[in-house]
Amino acid sequence: MAETNMGPATRSAATGRRRFQFGHEALLLVLLVVSLSVLATQSDVFLTTANLLNQGRLMTEVAIVALPMTMIIVTGGIDLSVGSMLGLSAIVLGYSWQNLGLPLGVACVVAVLTGTAAGFFNGLLVTRTKVPPLIATLATLALFRGLAEGISEARSVRGYPDWFFRLGQGEVLGVPSQLWILLVAIVIAWIVLARTTFGRSLYAIGHNEVAARFSGIAVDRCKLAIYTASGFASGLAGLIFVSRVSTTRSDMGTGLELDVIAAVVLGGTSIFGGVGTIVGTVLGFVLIQLLKNGLALTGVTSDATIVVIGTVLIGSILLTNFIGRRHRGDG
Amino acid sequence: MLKPVALATGSLLLTSAVALAQDRWDGADDLPVNPLACDGAAAAMEPTPYNGGQPTGAPDLSGQQITIVDVPKLVGIGYFAATTLGMQQAAEELGNVDVSTDGPTEANIDDQITVIDNYITQGVNAVLYAANDPVAIAPVLRTALERGIHVVGYDADAEPDAREWFINQAQFNGIAKAMIDSIVAEIGEDGSFAIVTSTFTTPNQARWIAEMQAYAAQCYPALEWLETVEAQEDNILSFNQANTLINKYGDDLQGLLGMTSVATPASAEAVTQAGLCGEVAVVGLATPNAMAPYVNDGCVESVVLWNPVDLGYAAVHVTRALVDGDLEPGDTSVEAGRLGTLQIINGSEVLLGAPFIYTADNINDFDF
Repeated sequence: MAETNMGPATRSAATGRRRFQFGHEALLLVLLVVSLSVLATQSDVFLTTANLLNQGRLMTEVAIVALPMTMIIVTGGIDLSVGSMLGLSAIVLGYSWQNLGLPLGVACVVAVLTGTAAGFFNGLLVTRTKVPPLIATLATLALFRGLAEGISEARSVRGYPDWFFRLGQGEVLGVPSQLWILLVAIVIAWIVLARTTFGRSLYAIGHNEVAARFSGIAVDRCKLAIYTASGFASGLAGLIFVSRVSTTRSDMGTGLELDVIAAVVLGGTSIFGGVGTIVGTVLGFVLIQLLKNGLALTGVTSDATIVVIGTVLIGSILLTNFIGRRHRGDG
Repeated sequence: MLKPVALATGSLLLTSAVALAQDRWDGADDLPVNPLACDGAAAAMEPTPYNGGQPTGAPDLSGQQITIVDVPKLVGIGYFAATTLGMQQAAEELGNVDVSTDGPTEANIDDQITVIDNYITQGVNAVLYAANDPVAIAPVLRTALERGIHVVGYDADAEPDAREWFINQAQFNGIAKAMIDSIVAEIGEDGSFAIVTSTFTTPNQARWIAEMQAYAAQCYPALEWLETVEAQEDNILSFNQANTLINKYGDDLQGLLGMTSVATPASAEAVTQAGLCGEVAVVGLATPNAMAPYVNDGCVESVVLWNPVDLGYAAVHVTRALVDGDLEPGDTSVEAGRLGTLQIINGSEVLLGAPFIYTADNINDFDF
């Protein structure tokens, strides 16, 4: 990219980028507040604690996976296999509990480990074979889904004990259990990306991978770590999903990658790498979920809702591009 | 580092191949099959006690205006457009029912749950559903019951205690018999055929296939069952899968059975484009409008289905009867407008009737 050519230019571009990031997050926040207030006037059940907490419950799987996805996209990569990793972890959970006879607690651990291993495999593919992440994870999207269908033998696993549903359907201190997990995950992801050397390395990789390599950043190790984290998050999301819907199916998580990437991109993360924050992503998935919910509550049908979400996505990208161009013009 | 992963992958792929090749395939559930007699004698029915759920604190709206929301598996396909039409007909006839249809744009369990969840929050008097997964949808339906909302299923059921009644469009063994009898009429008792279905875990399709296998084994033991392939409920994928089957088996393939309203016309189109009309028979479940071109061309002889307009119509009538207190646990029949008296089976299911076979003689009389 042009702005990394010279020292002073880099610095001014960096401040410009920070200003632009604030700009985008502020824009999202305004959009969120505006849509919340408009929708709240249209439906008296929308802005209630019960509804908002319930929406948090429904959004957790996408949200958890979106956190490492932000880091991956920040490095200029992408992980299309998250939905399949979720499905594979879910199937492994059901299979190891019902068919292998493991205690359910152990099966949960095995399921999350399976997701982590799948993510590690993605990381190896991306770093060792130099296959572009888009192609590598497109391949593993098919591979992991195929494994899930093969292992499950096309059977659903049902009949989990009641305690297992506490994770996905229960509450802790009046808040859905999985929201606590999400909160912890957000804090960790924010610290890692915004406050650590590792996080800064990810931005450097996304901006100019070759320069990052020559600056002594362990590029491959960083990438391996975030793809593995993506697998771990998908596995965890799979566990929560199974607990929420009380059944295991091999088609779980189909199309999840699109919801996740939409939230991350809406949050201001550049698909070209180098730009993006956890705060933006959080605003992104909250905005999408509340728009979907609010529109549904005001009587807009699901198919029309998708049109609105698409329009918001295009609008925010156009606006971001416009602001970005203006800033580059200033610098 | 790569080696163990590759090895593990390889062995898993092997196990899955073995698993898919197993002889008896009993679908996604472990329910026993119950094939009908070959000559079509009606099976004796044992009365079962009511096994549905009950809403808590549902307001008494007998005779008053009620709002019903209908959440099909997905919106935007002919089949559920037809059930919606039937619901609107019933609403118009009754005059005190307001029905709206809203559902996911893809047959996705998570999206469907979210849609129902939103309507519970919004507040309606009754929810009608066609489940994408019988277990996954159950928690949200139980929530509806807890909030005093009536819950009635049609087309694809949930766990019985998560809803009050289910409109059973046709019994699984009845459809299975009609499908197998129709294909045998075209390819003979020793013919060979393949099946294009949605997914192996979709409840209806899985049960039908299990019943078809049991009925075929009992009545036509020489019938050869080549393969069952998954094609979601996706037009292009269904066409490709049918095409693959035609190329893979060549002359050995005498018939294709489509298990969904998407797979059947796609299979007929694949056979037409391959120029194999008359050589590869297509029988399946589909809406008349989608199949009329192929039936009128003579490429397809019989289309098996119930009438989805009647199905939607019955669902609204049953819901009205339920709200009015005219349908209670333990009843053996219910009145459903122009459909007359419908029989109650399996404790809490309302049976729509015997399957309907569309042929060149009648298919043009239908428009859905």
